Amino acid sequence: MSEEIKQKIKQILVEDLNLEDITPDEIDDNEALFGEEEGLGLDSLDAVELSVLVNKYFGVEIKDLEEGRPALQSVQSLADFIVSRQGK
Amino acid sequence: MSAAPVQEGVELTPPTMGMTLFRLIIRVAGRAPAYMLLYVVCACYVLFNAQVRRSCAPYLRRRFPRAVGFYYWWHCYRLVHSFGRSILDRVIASVLGSDTFAVSLRGRDTLFRLRDEGRGMILLLSHVGCWQMAVAAFAALEQPVYMLMHHHASVFEQRHGGGFAFEVIDPNGYLGGALEMLGVLKDGGILAIMGDRVPPREKNVVRVPLLGGEVALPVSAYHLASSTGAPIAVLTSHRRDDGSYLMEVAEVLEVPRALGRRCDSYRPYACRYAAVLERYCARYPYQFYNFFDMWQ
Repeated sequence: MSEEIKQKIKQILVEDLNLEDITPDEIDDNEALFGEEEGLGLDSLDAVELSVLVNKYFGVEIKDLEEGRPALQSVQSLADFIVSRQGK
Repeated sequence: MSAAPVQEGVELTPPTMGMTLFRLIIRVAGRAPAYMLLYVVCACYVLFNAQVRRSCAPYLRRRFPRAVGFYYWWHCYRLVHSFGRSILDRVIASVLGSDTFAVSLRGRDTLFRLRDEGRGMILLLSHVGCWQMAVAAFAALEQPVYMLMHHHASVFEQRHGGGFAFEVIDPNGYLGGALEMLGVLKDGGILAIMGDRVPPREKNVVRVPLLGGEVALPVSAYHLASSTGAPIAVLTSHRRDDGSYLMEVAEVLEVPRALGRRCDSYRPYACRYAAVLERYCARYPYQFYNFFDMWQ
């Protein structure tokens, strides 16, 4: 289940957030999503977009900073968040 | 000066000692001597401070392209004096009370309607008139207003801003405050954002026409609106001849849902906002306070 979710998240990152020069398979589960000099280099606009897309594809809402900060660290943390919310 | 995300570059910042002097004069002798002194201070700034004149030039050269010599200096003086007066008004409000100035709101029914729809609302402000005074009009909304603003600017506003209350979201926070802003709108809250300046290191911009050239404007407000379904109320404020302030709902923007990540998708809405600014500059040429080269 979690593997499927992680794969879907990676697909969203590449296709919906238009990540260039990288394929879903090349994204490490624990790679940082945000930051100018590390990880995938997503920015604040991507954070909002990703929040919307997570709701669209998984039916899970990232409500605010308190929920979003730990969830949006990496593909792994986001997948864990989605699983925990879907299990509720 | 600015209480919003600031563009990297020149900022006209009133010196703290001067502010203290003005506060003292207002406390001891009232408003009139402070306004009188302001004429002299602004004249000195324009005559003897080349940096001040340089800061005014990008806007004035576009707003008054034919002005040369004395006429250009006169426009420069009027712009600097108008800006100084807006700061002085805030200081007066902070010393004598925020009810010292009458602030009226045109478009109140529109704002109430948008608020009552429960979709959240984005108030798109600009560095025109005196938005800090305009914030006083927000009290009528009977709901907290969250403002995207640098911490250092919010400290300045608390000290000199007239005591108008708003909650602050710091763009230096995690992911530029994006998740906090999203949270406010999802809860049906009211978010205020400055639309006319690009925060440092912000890459999500579109170029739109303004005063015969092109300026870069941030798309974050339009993207948030598209992501949440919140309407955008473009607000302007200006100081009237009688010293009161009028805040106006200049335009309401409904951005379609799910426009996605591409900045260009939001260009039509940024263009409509820029058109509001252009109309404002035509009507109130000395109340447009962007003292850097927006057209660079």
